[in-house]
Amino acid sequence: MSVIAPRFKFSEFVKSIIENAFWIVVIMTLVGLPMAMIVLFYVDLPVIDGALVTPFLALTWLSHPELALPLLKSFLTSDAFRILAFPGFGFAALVAAGTIFVERKMLAKLQLRVGPFYCGKIEGILQLAGDGLKLISKEIIIPAKADKPLFIVAPLLFVGAAAAFVALIPVAPGWVVADVDVGLLAVFAVIGFFPIITVLSAWSANSKFPFIGGIRALYQMVSFEIPLILSCLGVVLLTGTLNLTEIAQSQQVIPWIVLMPIGAIVFFICMLAELERIPFDLPEAESEIVAGWLTEFSGMMYGLVQLGSYVKLYAFSALFVVLFLGGWSGPVFWPPLEQELLESGQTLGPIKLQLPGLPLFSQEFFSAVIWFVLKTAAVIFFVLLPRGVFPRIRIDMLLRIGWYKLIAMAFVNIFVALGLVYAGVVGPGGIF
Amino acid sequence: MEGKTTVPALAELPPGLELQRVDERIMTLNVGPQHPGSGHMRIIVQIDGDRIVACDPDPGYVHRGEEKMAEYRNYVQNIPHLERPVIHDSCNILYPYCLATEEILGIEVPERAQYVRVIAAELNRCVYTLYWLAIYGIFLGHSTMFMWPTGDRELLIDLLEKMTGARVTHAYLVPGGVRNDVPANFEDVCLRQVDYFEKRIREYAGIFYDNPILISRTRDAGALSRHDAVALGTTGSVLRASGVDYDVRKKEPYDCYDSLDFETSVMREGDAYARSRVPWLDMMQSCRIIRDALSKMPKSGSVRVKLKPNPKGPEMVSYKRVESGRGALGCYVVSDGKPEPYRVKMSVGSFRNLIALPYLLRGEKLGNMPAVYWSLNYWPVEADR
Amino acid sequence: MEKEGVPAQSGGGEKGQEAKKAEAPLPEVDSSLRSRIESLFGERATVEFARPGRMQVNVAGKDIVEVARFARDELGFDHAESVTGIDRPADGQIEVVYHLGSYTRPDLAGHVLAVSTRAPREEDPSPGADSTRLPSLRGVFYSVEFHEREAFEMLGVYFEGHPDNRRLLLPEDWADMPPMRKDFAIKGR
Repeated sequence: MSVIAPRFKFSEFVKSIIENAFWIVVIMTLVGLPMAMIVLFYVDLPVIDGALVTPFLALTWLSHPELALPLLKSFLTSDAFRILAFPGFGFAALVAAGTIFVERKMLAKLQLRVGPFYCGKIEGILQLAGDGLKLISKEIIIPAKADKPLFIVAPLLFVGAAAAFVALIPVAPGWVVADVDVGLLAVFAVIGFFPIITVLSAWSANSKFPFIGGIRALYQMVSFEIPLILSCLGVVLLTGTLNLTEIAQSQQVIPWIVLMPIGAIVFFICMLAELERIPFDLPEAESEIVAGWLTEFSGMMYGLVQLGSYVKLYAFSALFVVLFLGGWSGPVFWPPLEQELLESGQTLGPIKLQLPGLPLFSQEFFSAVIWFVLKTAAVIFFVLLPRGVFPRIRIDMLLRIGWYKLIAMAFVNIFVALGLVYAGVVGPGGIF
Repeated sequence: MEGKTTVPALAELPPGLELQRVDERIMTLNVGPQHPGSGHMRIIVQIDGDRIVACDPDPGYVHRGEEKMAEYRNYVQNIPHLERPVIHDSCNILYPYCLATEEILGIEVPERAQYVRVIAAELNRCVYTLYWLAIYGIFLGHSTMFMWPTGDRELLIDLLEKMTGARVTHAYLVPGGVRNDVPANFEDVCLRQVDYFEKRIREYAGIFYDNPILISRTRDAGALSRHDAVALGTTGSVLRASGVDYDVRKKEPYDCYDSLDFETSVMREGDAYARSRVPWLDMMQSCRIIRDALSKMPKSGSVRVKLKPNPKGPEMVSYKRVESGRGALGCYVVSDGKPEPYRVKMSVGSFRNLIALPYLLRGEKLGNMPAVYWSLNYWPVEADR
Repeated sequence: MEKEGVPAQSGGGEKGQEAKKAEAPLPEVDSSLRSRIESLFGERATVEFARPGRMQVNVAGKDIVEVARFARDELGFDHAESVTGIDRPADGQIEVVYHLGSYTRPDLAGHVLAVSTRAPREEDPSPGADSTRLPSLRGVFYSVEFHEREAFEMLGVYFEGHPDNRRLLLPEDWADMPPMRKDFAIKGR
């Protein structure tokens, strides 16, 4: 049991900070620096633009920031940056956080309340950070009879699968983590992991409500995956490729949603079901089976599953944008950057900032990313909206929708696409 | 010790602890008492796949012995604790007790007090029904329907606070009238609130009752035929949703209900949808009753008969019924000539409707359980008393 | 606050009221009910009181099923509203009152027929295993199921023929005597 500051005294607080700083300095000097020297002695350091990158460069950059540019440039073009930051997980997690915030505030406005309000002063913008801190600081309770390795690894797998999904989504021309030729097939392969992870975690919890929830999730995801795949086939028929980047680029003239509205509708409904959003949130139906397959998760395990599901939400919305809304295509409205800035740099007071050839700074890039984010945000909005409007449906109604109606509509969509191809509207010599 | 079994044979076990044969196909779910879809009770549900094969409601987690407590307090002291079972509907749950006590003590209630009682009771019915509707909404996964009624309920609670001085546990009805008169400008405030409230409940129909998913979900879920509804002795909205035109306010008018203009709301289908729609219709009728009562209420006069301290009645029994938010609410008061009642029995609507639950859930899908359960207009605390 | 209402009549005026009530003529429905019950059962069913809309009939335990069946089939009372157990230690008996109502007969809609019966009371109760027994009305009125279960646990009246004589409101491990008996005292009262 810890007691938070039983008798707070400012002098003791300052003293503790000073003491801590003192010990950190001592330990760094006596242990950290020798260790760093030893490591540097044995490790081959990278050479970028003819300059050896050593940790001591950090001291140089303090006085000459422009010297850090080559390293920054090489980092921005590296795979690590793509995976961790921009088109990959970091970007997706940022969008997911924004989604959660928008969802809370939008739902609150819909329901005549204020939503998060106090944390962060401005409209509760830090509420999510607070929730994350709370989840991290909570104790993780694992049921006594659970299959512990599987139970622990399931949330990680869930986030991992969601991140793998994100890796396949192209955000701007050339900006994709994994630009594979069978991108769409890879997406379906990744989606196929989710029911397995769900059933694994539900089964390993060894509890009744997660079990029912897991079985429901399995039924739901399997029965909605088929129309999901079929609804994408129309796009594949029209474009003749499975590469997501090429699919996005093929829609410079007209997004496929105009030609294939049925396919887009089927895809959107299946997307809601795959994401377990209301009205398809049966695997987590709290009034029937507590929290479904999430019942036994506690603390950050639950937090990870939530993070994974919102990252998945972003990935699905982005996939919808790529397949049906033309990806990043749109009129370029970003003003062209000054040539002078790109070549020689900018003087900001005492600091002279030189950004020649920085990969992130181009007119096309800004325009593409902004269009992509705008379209994705619009799709996410429509994914969030049903939560305030619809009640939950029942499992038999859900399966009937999935197996009869959506599959039939997906086939109709395929024949529409075939008709477009045979009529010569799309394809070589066609209008588009 | 060998040869001795630790489990006693079936016949030796006390009631309630019988062993059951375990079937591999059947899974027993304990829905409650710690479950978001149960309320303060436990429903032991046995499911085969997605289908409920047996259901055994187990109330009693909030049993507080109100009836026993009533035997130790005099007729007036019983008022504050007898309303505890349904604090949202406290005027209605006190109503039959007050009527029965008045019969025993031989009191005539002044006319103005009768109207004030009716207005308080109808406002309370709306407050209760809004709360019930909110939970029905969240049970079906419709979070907007949870937030809207809970928000609008505040306005009615504020109105009742102006009227009675307390937000939920009013203790407003006393034998012989009401505790205090309404405030000076009550009529205007009440009319304004009722107008707004009526507008709002029309909007509920738009977002909830006419929602196609809700209709397809609750249509034919847990259908109760007219004959079964009568045979099971259900009451209130459950009965009226099955096509039985029975409302105690009409059939056995108490206080001034016979002079007020309203209709009994009846639906024929008997399914969960009809059972959830009837309380909504009732709220509309409540608004109508409140308007009518406000216009017919005497502008001045006494609202309470003065009682002696420790009033006593003759040796007699009295059974009075009112229509509460959950159906007919009967109070059986036995007097033995002492200041304390000899026995007080509350025959509450929730307890009477509970018997329909195992009957309706058998053979139903698990996903229908919250819809059917909560459409029975069941309030666990009231059933336990 | 004005409180100049009618002065309280409690305590003094019961006699006059009793007389007034007895004199008031019963509506035709009530009197026909009364006469039909009395003519059929005679001695076995005595009418305790009859007021407009309310009537109580006292029946011995062995006749209760027959009377209830008659009330259901011939009189038109189709459901039981409540089952009340009343402990009467002075008489050495436990009274059980069934309140019957009617949904299907419009003329009986405002009527409640109370059928009262008595079971012997044991000084040292052991619920379910002593002589405090009554035949169950579950076969006549389905709706008494939970009410009779409640009466069993609260007063120890075992209803023979009830298919499900388990505890309902009390906890499973309740080991004291049935709590609604008069000799079960609340602490501090």
